[in-house]
Amino acid sequence: MNPPFDREAMLELVAAYALGVLPESEHALVAAFIREDAQARAEFAALRPVADAIGLAAEEPVDSARAARMKDRLMAIVRAEAAASNITQIGASQRSAPSNRAGLIGTGLAAAAAIAFALVSTIQNFSLRSDLENARRNVAQLQTAATTNERTHVREAQRDRETVADLVAADAQRFAVPEGDVVKRGDRVYFALRSLPPLPKGKVYQAWTLAKGAKTVSPSVTFVPSADGVAVIALPEKASNLAAVALSVEPEGGSKAPTSKPTFIRSLS
Amino acid sequence: MDDGVRLMERIRERDTAAFELLYSGYHRLVFGIALRMLADTTMAEDLTQSVFLKLWSSPATFRDGNFGAWLSRVTRNRALDVLRSRAAKIEGEIPVDIPAEGSVDDVIFAKLDSQRVRAALAALPDEQRAPIEMGFYGGITHEEIAKRTGIPLGTIKTRIRSGLRRLRGELQSAVSR
Repeated sequence: MNPPFDREAMLELVAAYALGVLPESEHALVAAFIREDAQARAEFAALRPVADAIGLAAEEPVDSARAARMKDRLMAIVRAEAAASNITQIGASQRSAPSNRAGLIGTGLAAAAAIAFALVSTIQNFSLRSDLENARRNVAQLQTAATTNERTHVREAQRDRETVADLVAADAQRFAVPEGDVVKRGDRVYFALRSLPPLPKGKVYQAWTLAKGAKTVSPSVTFVPSADGVAVIALPEKASNLAAVALSVEPEGGSKAPTSKPTFIRSLS
Repeated sequence: MDDGVRLMERIRERDTAAFELLYSGYHRLVFGIALRMLADTTMAEDLTQSVFLKLWSSPATFRDGNFGAWLSRVTRNRALDVLRSRAAKIEGEIPVDIPAEGSVDDVIFAKLDSQRVRAALAALPDEQRAPIEMGFYGGITHEEIAKRTGIPLGTIKTRIRSGLRRLRGELQSAVSR
């Protein structure tokens, strides 16, 4: 014989469930009661919006600097993601990078990698781990799509995967520059930039490297960032040989020596 | 339909301008709940960003109803994840798996703002308000509330239910004034 059913006691549990203070071990029982009993359903429907509304009382003014900082970070990620979506939609057929842009990550993965990097470099903590995992998964999915289209994309995807892994690695060294970061991991070095100014017509960005013991810089890759100023660039030079890197705006095709004031110069020590 | 609902529709279309407006309109709410629950400004900031990124990456998770109240629940649940990582006794996630009935509520609750909710909470007797706030912001179960306050569990259950019912009445009065 079943024990006597105490409706009032069960309705109290419904209220606790609506507020979110019911132990998880009792969720299934109360959820079933709500599904089966009209009064319980009505009680839950009446009290859950009340519980939700309690949070509204917590609204707090946020100081303008903090609000702006949070907004800048968010919008950088969101715009990069939107750019990645757009690039991906354009399709693989338009991926024909000039040889002197070999360091520029292809396929829209550049923006995807930028998202992953932005997540890590700006907010390295617990709460975004799942978002980071999503970003990693997105990058992996994009890589998968690329490899099915063309054989040559396999190499590109592998490189992108390596890039993302390097950018998010805990042991990567990050050197801040105004437009983002220079990231060094092992013998690889990257520019992970998210706020590059738009280029004048006929111009490209060019990376420069200063070898250890050298007195003058050597030309490295040229690239054009996305419309939002995002670029993730893998430099071909061995990081262990470099003392510093720099970036400048140069004519299309690149220069043998910088012809403009560097956008940044960053020591790697 | 409130602004949040309209903006979420645009965000589903990947409208970054709508997302920016949504952030401007609701970051104080998300940050406020996060700060109240986590008691740490840096963690609250991170949680705020995490919640908004989730809105951007999964806008379909919001279907309809009062956006502010829904966002409040999402933020609380996310903060509970953080609290769970700190202590094992956190269990009180607000359920999202059972649809609430009653479209009238949407009309009422769409008119709510922080001032009205604060006033309604302040109108509750302390003995009802305290366990409700402990449970909501502390993310603890009614058993834990009973333990911490030294009040019998049965009394806590009764006070939570009567407090929520009374709060509902206060909120309904507030929006009809």
